Amino acid sequence: MKKILLAEDEAVLRMLVVDTLEDEGYEVVEAADGQEALDLFNPGEFDLLILDYMMPIFSGLDVIKKIRSTENGSRVKILMLSAKSQQNEQDRILEAGADYFMSKPFSPIKLIERVEEIIDEA
Amino acid sequence: MKLNDQIKKSFSNQIVYLFGISISFFILGTILLFYIQNELNDKYIEEREQIVYERNLLIKINDLYDTTFIDMLSYSELITPQMESKLLSQEEEIEKLTTALEIPLETYKVDGVNTDMIREFSADFFTVLLPSYLARNENGDNQQLDEFSNEQIEKFRESMLNSIMLVGKQLENNVKKLSVYTTYIQIAFIVFILIFLFVLQRIIKRIFKNIGEPLAKFAFAANEIAAGRDAVIQTYPERKDELGLLSIAFQKMVSTLQVKEQDLIAHNEELLAQQDELQAGQDQLQETLGTLLENEKKLTNHSALINGISTSLDKKEVLNSIVSNMCKITFSDSGMIALLYENSYASSGVSETGARQFISNLHSGLNQRLIETKKAFVIKREQDISEKGYHEAINYSYDLYLPILTTTSQKVEAIMVYSRFGYPYTDKEIEEYETLTKQIAISLDKIKLYERSEEARSINQDILNTVQEGIQLIDQNRNIIQVNHQLYEMFDSLGEEDVLSFSWSQWSSKLGEKIKDKQFIFNLDEAISAALRGNDEKSTFIYQLKENSHVIQVYCKKIVNEGKAAGTIIVHRDITKEFEVDQMKSEFVSTVSHELRTPLASVLGFTELLLHKELKPERKTKYLNTIYSEAKRLSALINDFLDIQRMESGKQSYEKKYIDIRPIWETVIENQQVQTLIHQIHLSVDTEQTRILGDKEKIQQIFTNVLSNAMKYSPKGGNIYIHLYENEHSLIIDVKDEGLGIPKESIPHLFEKFYRIDNTDHRQIGGTGLGLSIVAEIVKIHDGTITVDSQIGEGSTFTLTFPKINIKKEDKQFAPDKDNSLSIHHDVVIIEDDLSLADLLFQELTSSGFQVSCFNNGQAALNHIKASPPDALVLDIKLEENEIDGWTIMNELKQDEQLKQIPIFISSAFDEQERGYSLGAQDFLVKPYSPSKLSKVIMQTLLENGKQGQIMIPKQEE
Repeated sequence: MKKILLAEDEAVLRMLVVDTLEDEGYEVVEAADGQEALDLFNPGEFDLLILDYMMPIFSGLDVIKKIRSTENGSRVKILMLSAKSQQNEQDRILEAGADYFMSKPFSPIKLIERVEEIIDEA
Repeated sequence: MKLNDQIKKSFSNQIVYLFGISISFFILGTILLFYIQNELNDKYIEEREQIVYERNLLIKINDLYDTTFIDMLSYSELITPQMESKLLSQEEEIEKLTTALEIPLETYKVDGVNTDMIREFSADFFTVLLPSYLARNENGDNQQLDEFSNEQIEKFRESMLNSIMLVGKQLENNVKKLSVYTTYIQIAFIVFILIFLFVLQRIIKRIFKNIGEPLAKFAFAANEIAAGRDAVIQTYPERKDELGLLSIAFQKMVSTLQVKEQDLIAHNEELLAQQDELQAGQDQLQETLGTLLENEKKLTNHSALINGISTSLDKKEVLNSIVSNMCKITFSDSGMIALLYENSYASSGVSETGARQFISNLHSGLNQRLIETKKAFVIKREQDISEKGYHEAINYSYDLYLPILTTTSQKVEAIMVYSRFGYPYTDKEIEEYETLTKQIAISLDKIKLYERSEEARSINQDILNTVQEGIQLIDQNRNIIQVNHQLYEMFDSLGEEDVLSFSWSQWSSKLGEKIKDKQFIFNLDEAISAALRGNDEKSTFIYQLKENSHVIQVYCKKIVNEGKAAGTIIVHRDITKEFEVDQMKSEFVSTVSHELRTPLASVLGFTELLLHKELKPERKTKYLNTIYSEAKRLSALINDFLDIQRMESGKQSYEKKYIDIRPIWETVIENQQVQTLIHQIHLSVDTEQTRILGDKEKIQQIFTNVLSNAMKYSPKGGNIYIHLYENEHSLIIDVKDEGLGIPKESIPHLFEKFYRIDNTDHRQIGGTGLGLSIVAEIVKIHDGTITVDSQIGEGSTFTLTFPKINIKKEDKQFAPDKDNSLSIHHDVVIIEDDLSLADLLFQELTSSGFQVSCFNNGQAALNHIKASPPDALVLDIKLEENEIDGWTIMNELKQDEQLKQIPIFISSAFDEQERGYSLGAQDFLVKPYSPSKLSKVIMQTLLENGKQGQIMIPKQEE
């Protein structure tokens, strides 16, 4: 079973993503903020990281930077969910090391397709 | 003969002739004497040479013998044949010298030279003595010379020495003889000179006698003639020299003079007459000159006056110069000028008190007469004491009043008064002075114009300096014409004085140094060119200052003067505030959009799941509930935004009532606590009086905002304490959290619109940046205050205060709050088929103190109303299908006498207000509306009806 780490401070959205992905048979580990995500992150354990941008303590961007700077963190796939949909924000996110970007609001169906793609790729 | 004639004719010739002879004679005598002297000298030298020659010969002979004798004696023992021959050869030498001595000089015979004696001894010595001596030596007879030979030799040597001495004596005598001759010659020369001088003196005396005597006679005669006496003039017709001629000429002259004198006397008389005439002419000229000088002085004074009034534009200065110059021109002792309509004057020779006295009476008395007549006049008066000085008799002073008329309207604009002691002003003078006043009037006009233009200029400059923008004016060639104060301030360190002398490139590069944008100079040039082309779009740009990061907008405009481009005006406008507000707004829009996206994402996401997936019923419900609450969140956000909009535009209205804040807090806490597991909210109330005058809905909004803020900014959870208490004037609420705390520098900005604390901790927490500014705004409307005390990392305490109210003064009719309404029990019936809305309305009206009954079925409701008529009815128009609709219910009620006065509040999604009101609706609320609005309008209607004595059906009465 493919394992996904989800960091999202909004409980409702967390529920949306978790429900959507779990229905498709993924195992989803939840984190409510950036710190928690980093604590839970274990290189090799997760097939995908789904991060929110705006989170308390560490933002999604901080989390990416931190993970990418660790030895084994550079290979894990990262999908960023953000309400900041401006092009320059997207660029910043991709520059920081995210592999994919989806803007909020997002379609759960599309999210599934996307996640499948990413995991197949890997 | 001819020469003699020549000499007799002229004195100069005579003198030349005599001097010629004397000098010739003198030269001849001198030459003769020199010749004799020379002869003597030559003879002396010759003799001397002879003597010296012979003496030398004698000395040589003597020496030779001496050598011979010495050789003979010293070598007597070692005589050799060589020696012998050498000794013998001496004889020849001596013989030669003796012969030379014998040849006597022709001219002179030297005494004492006895050649015979030498020859005799030589013969003896060389023939007898020497050979015998040598022979003896050869024979070894080494004896001395014999006595005889010795004697002979001695004798010879003595006589030789005598001879040499004699000759030396002759040399001395010879010198003595020469000096004696020389002395004779010198004496002869002196005698010759004396004789010559004597002769010369005689000759000169003779000549002068010949000239002097007749001249003296002439002089005497001339003197006599000059003295006017008759004189005998001696003539020397026999003399052919100048004197002879002179005497004849002199005589002729005298006779001519005598004739001429007669003429002269006659002429002289004539001249005397002419002289008298000339004298008279000169006197006349003198007089004219005097007048001219006087005129010149007058003109000088006039030109000083003109000069004084034309060289300055300073009023005070000009007035002073007018008075002092006019005093000179009018020969006055004191004077004054005063402008009638301005408080300006100048005086000369007048005391300060006098001047003030005059000024205070400027429009009365004599001045009044002057103003009316516009004609100069003179007043004669007795001198006052100060003018009189030491004079005892009565003296008079004259005051001249002169008006100055404006050039345009010929009105008196200034008055001049001049005083003269003792002698009056003539009419001619006054006329002259009146002409001068015209000049003065012109200069006063000029000053007025100048002052007016100065004033206008200064107003312009003031305007320029007052506007907020930095303004600079340049001409066509980009010379800086004017720069206002603000521009200097914008560019702090620009020296105010220098700038106008800067060239354009100096100026712009100086500005460039202070500006972040490197393109500044280029942009400015472009903007100016664009302005000159009339391209307004391109004549503006924005730059930022280095020093304080202010954002400045520049725009340039062409200045057109009389149809021609005159320059460019460059305006630097500080748009930092607008710029910041703009930035804040766009940040706000992006924040709002972000905030909206999160709930929107939930709504859309769950909806999508519901639509596309087969889900279990409980999951469906869960999702629907979520969608509902997220949608509510969305609408709250939108409301925040709208609130701010309303507040900003001043459209927000407040319905203030007496409300109890305690239950409000309870509701708010209940609502918030549901949303969190990590926060514990505690309410403590230390006062009995918890009522304030306020808009319940808004107050609840404040509390919700403050509490949700406290939760939001303590992301790790913790306790939140809400404490209600009072002091003398206020009801106070502390909301204390244990969250992040607020940085000190942020506290003053906390209640500003769009402000969000700019650090990562806070940034990560979403928000519109509006909550607290809404709170502050509402608190202000309620005459309350909100303050914050915070410690970073430890939490914050927000303190709200509201003015306390006095219960005893409460007007019951105006305070139908919850407590009061309980005793009245107004019934309200709601007919609404939308259950959630019905519930919402039910909650609202119940919390406002009404007794509420809800119906979703029209018929059932009608039955209930008929059975128990309520105080008000809330009616939805569109009810479920196959049901009677709202309109039907309304018609039925309005036709019933009993029920038609029940106020009906229509609550409909359709805007059919006209129909509603025509059927007799009390109010028409278009969905969606705020439930509180409903309770408000019901409350209002019931209160009004109660006041008018209309239907008020308290529950108890039924």
